[in-house]
Amino acid sequence: MPRIEIDGQELEVSAGTTIMEAATQLGIYIPFFCYHPKLSVAANCRMCLVDVEKQAKPLPACATPASDGMKISTSSRRARMAQQGVLEFLLINHPLDCPICDQGGECPLQDVTMGYANPHSLYTEEKRVVEDKDIGPLIATEMTRCIQCTRCVRFGQEIGGIMELGATGRGEKMAIGTYVGRAVRSELSGNMIDLCPVGALTSKPFRYRARSWELKHTPSLCPHCSTGCSTDVQSLGREVLRVTPRINEAVNEEWICDRGRFAYAGLGASDRITRPLLRVNGRLQEVSWAEALDAAAAGLEQVLAENGPDSVSGVISPQSTNEELFLFQGLLRGLGVQAIEHRLRQTDFRADAAMPLYPALNMSLEHLEGESLVFLCHAYPREQQPLTNHRLRKSVLAGGQVWAVDSVRREFNYPVHGLVAEAGQDAALYRTLARCVQGLAEEDGAGLPAEVLEAACALRDAADPLLLVGSGVLQHPGAAGLMAAIAELAEAAGARVGWLAEAANSAGAWLLGCVPGRLPGGVPAGTDSRPPAGGAWDARFRAWILMGVEPGLDAMAAVQARQSLADARFVLTISAFLGEAEAYADVVLPMAVWAESAGSYFNNEGRLQSFRAAVKASGEARPAWKILRVLADHLQVADLAFDDLDSVRSAWETRLGDFPLDVPAFGGFPEGLALMEGAGSPGEGCRILGDWSIYQGDPLVRRSVPLQQPAGCRLHPETAARQGLRDGDMVELQGPGGQGTQLPLALDAGVAPGAIWLSLGHPGTQALGGVGATVVLARAGVSAGAQA
Amino acid sequence: MLSEASLAEIARERAKYPPERARSALLAALRIAQAEHGYLPETLVEYVAGLLELPAIQAFEVATFYSMYDLRPVGKYKFCVCGSVSCFLNGSDGILAHLQERLGVGLGETTPDGLFTIAEVECLGACKDAPVMQLGDRYVETLTPESLDVLIGQLRGGRDDVR
Repeated sequence: MPRIEIDGQELEVSAGTTIMEAATQLGIYIPFFCYHPKLSVAANCRMCLVDVEKQAKPLPACATPASDGMKISTSSRRARMAQQGVLEFLLINHPLDCPICDQGGECPLQDVTMGYANPHSLYTEEKRVVEDKDIGPLIATEMTRCIQCTRCVRFGQEIGGIMELGATGRGEKMAIGTYVGRAVRSELSGNMIDLCPVGALTSKPFRYRARSWELKHTPSLCPHCSTGCSTDVQSLGREVLRVTPRINEAVNEEWICDRGRFAYAGLGASDRITRPLLRVNGRLQEVSWAEALDAAAAGLEQVLAENGPDSVSGVISPQSTNEELFLFQGLLRGLGVQAIEHRLRQTDFRADAAMPLYPALNMSLEHLEGESLVFLCHAYPREQQPLTNHRLRKSVLAGGQVWAVDSVRREFNYPVHGLVAEAGQDAALYRTLARCVQGLAEEDGAGLPAEVLEAACALRDAADPLLLVGSGVLQHPGAAGLMAAIAELAEAAGARVGWLAEAANSAGAWLLGCVPGRLPGGVPAGTDSRPPAGGAWDARFRAWILMGVEPGLDAMAAVQARQSLADARFVLTISAFLGEAEAYADVVLPMAVWAESAGSYFNNEGRLQSFRAAVKASGEARPAWKILRVLADHLQVADLAFDDLDSVRSAWETRLGDFPLDVPAFGGFPEGLALMEGAGSPGEGCRILGDWSIYQGDPLVRRSVPLQQPAGCRLHPETAARQGLRDGDMVELQGPGGQGTQLPLALDAGVAPGAIWLSLGHPGTQALGGVGATVVLARAGVSAGAQA
Repeated sequence: MLSEASLAEIARERAKYPPERARSALLAALRIAQAEHGYLPETLVEYVAGLLELPAIQAFEVATFYSMYDLRPVGKYKFCVCGSVSCFLNGSDGILAHLQERLGVGLGETTPDGLFTIAEVECLGACKDAPVMQLGDRYVETLTPESLDVLIGQLRGGRDDVR
């Protein structure tokens, strides 16, 4: 244990500690640019030079391990001269354009210059100029400002997992850029903006919008996935202008993904509703809150009176807060309505009894880093839970193994063993694996693919494997059979099972009773409260209460949902955006979105986190919990007369009571559960596979213009060749109901032959019938590439 | 994109390093690719990166760092004039200016007849005979405008064994 002395203060540190780390422990600040505790040490900016006794030259504190007896000075004459010299060199080629630089006011180079530089420069020659690069819609570049610290490059290699930025050229010609003007695609790319210590990489959507010191900072939570990252919402007046990560080592460390960072750009979408709307003579008109609430209550009461409570269906977004979820189910159950649903992407509910108390990770996110063997079951955390994925990436870098069993080969940012099911044979693959693990495969599985046997061996030999069940399981048309097969595999392998919860508050939706058949706390709701065959969109329903959802884009059964809503007697939509509700809603109540209201979420670990409003709601929009509470008043539902959010919270906390964070991943499955696999070939057509992409998954993010990516489809090269299709062709797709859409085709050997991969959540792809349906393909036109 | 022979040579270089150290073979792989192709177009750099399963930008970093790699077509003779301290103090600026004037092209450019390219490079390690330039695989030392004129005349005359 070396004993050292920094600026006269003595300290004992563990072997291998650098001078920088030791100084941090003592609370002594050493200026730096390229050093970052989460990145490898580059020691190329030289800003952290310190004076070490008996050393001939100043040493970089970030790269020098403390050794016994070292006497270090961070402010001796020699240290100060080194700091001044380094800054003078760094500023030689740095433009003094701080007045027009977005980094101004939050710039380490500015701050360190103020604190440590000699105010006079000897440099009178020309400064170098570096050409700017367009690296996509998220990051603005001003490369003349770059000081070549290479933090962004190291971030790409070490954290993002795909190296997209690099340092090209040499000496004074060195510049940071992508490969010949390519765009940066990493889902974590925005973190490079935070890492850049100068104004070389800044946020493009935020460019020239405000000065950092004008912004109000509100600690908040990211509402886009079940990781539940801590964010800092920065606003000016009524407008959210920027979202950055807050440090929370237990959840997101100090990163957030681009969805969490840039989705705020959707807040000002053109279809934002700021006044209540009422359908009069077939058209939606702006009305007062009183009129709208009266109409909503009257419409619902009429359907309830004439068709009974079993004719009403309530669908709430799993992005809603605990308070909203609790009030929503309380309101509907108060009206006698049993059909309460948050699972828009699920169509097979036969195994509801086997669902856990809530979709729990059953461990802490931090512990994921230490896993030695993880089987991802139809899960794609890279897009669905990017910062949970980052923990898995760390486990692989530490020597762990990750297997991804899915209906398509996904692209991960770390080495993953992939196992792809044949089209429609997903549950069968898990069954086969389970049999192999039990060693029953020798006689009946001699012809099994090598990778299946390899996967089974990995599972069998692992000491304590972990299965993570992803949203792809629930989205499968035979979800129940798939779950049962995964449970079999877990049993055979003796594996622990965790769920990767789909949405920001899926956990809260389960815990607080926004599922048919379960009251808050998972208490059974009574005998026959299972969802009907058509789920929330079943033909028996005559009226709907929708909150924060766009079923035409969010639901797997989008075609059926749109049809049911169009045929409904009454539809009440509580939403921040009008969107498709224009076609079917009878009353639209404008609600405040995340950032405009407060509330709490349970993340994937079961961690309860709350956030408060950062800005005032737009126009007359009101927080959803207040809308629900007033509606309850109008509909004479008792026990929901809460005056503030805190009393709602204590009400649900009392109802929920204590619950275990770790829960059994599966309950009992019904007897004789059919697998419901795609029996037989889909004939001429292709079986649909697909998922909501990272930037398409909820109403807010799909309105964020800088994040938008066009819809597309992917086919196995063999399938494409059989249909006479080539890469880049526009393909005409015909769904089972005759609906058609045109999409650009990309070839991808990771898609099973006979299947087609669609990016879901776009109007075109949602019209085709969802995962498991069959589409017929034809070439729509000749692409530009083929003509040339 | 590359011949069987070049691919085999790259595979041989690759085999010299442990499996997780593909990056170590990058210098050699780029050299082999350039030897066959004359220069390294962007598509070729990316192709070589793909052979070694490296990110394209990583190969691009290396290809742009070393002046021995050419990202654009170069002339039959590439004058690589050292511009580092010793050569600079001994007049490398004047040598470069003279070359540019005599050949009618700028730094990094190639004469229309495809014979000559002028480049400024970092220290060639031959300071005692500054100013120095590299021409193909040999050094030409103690350069003067006059010695360059003689050299250019000889090269134009088809002699490439000049000293």
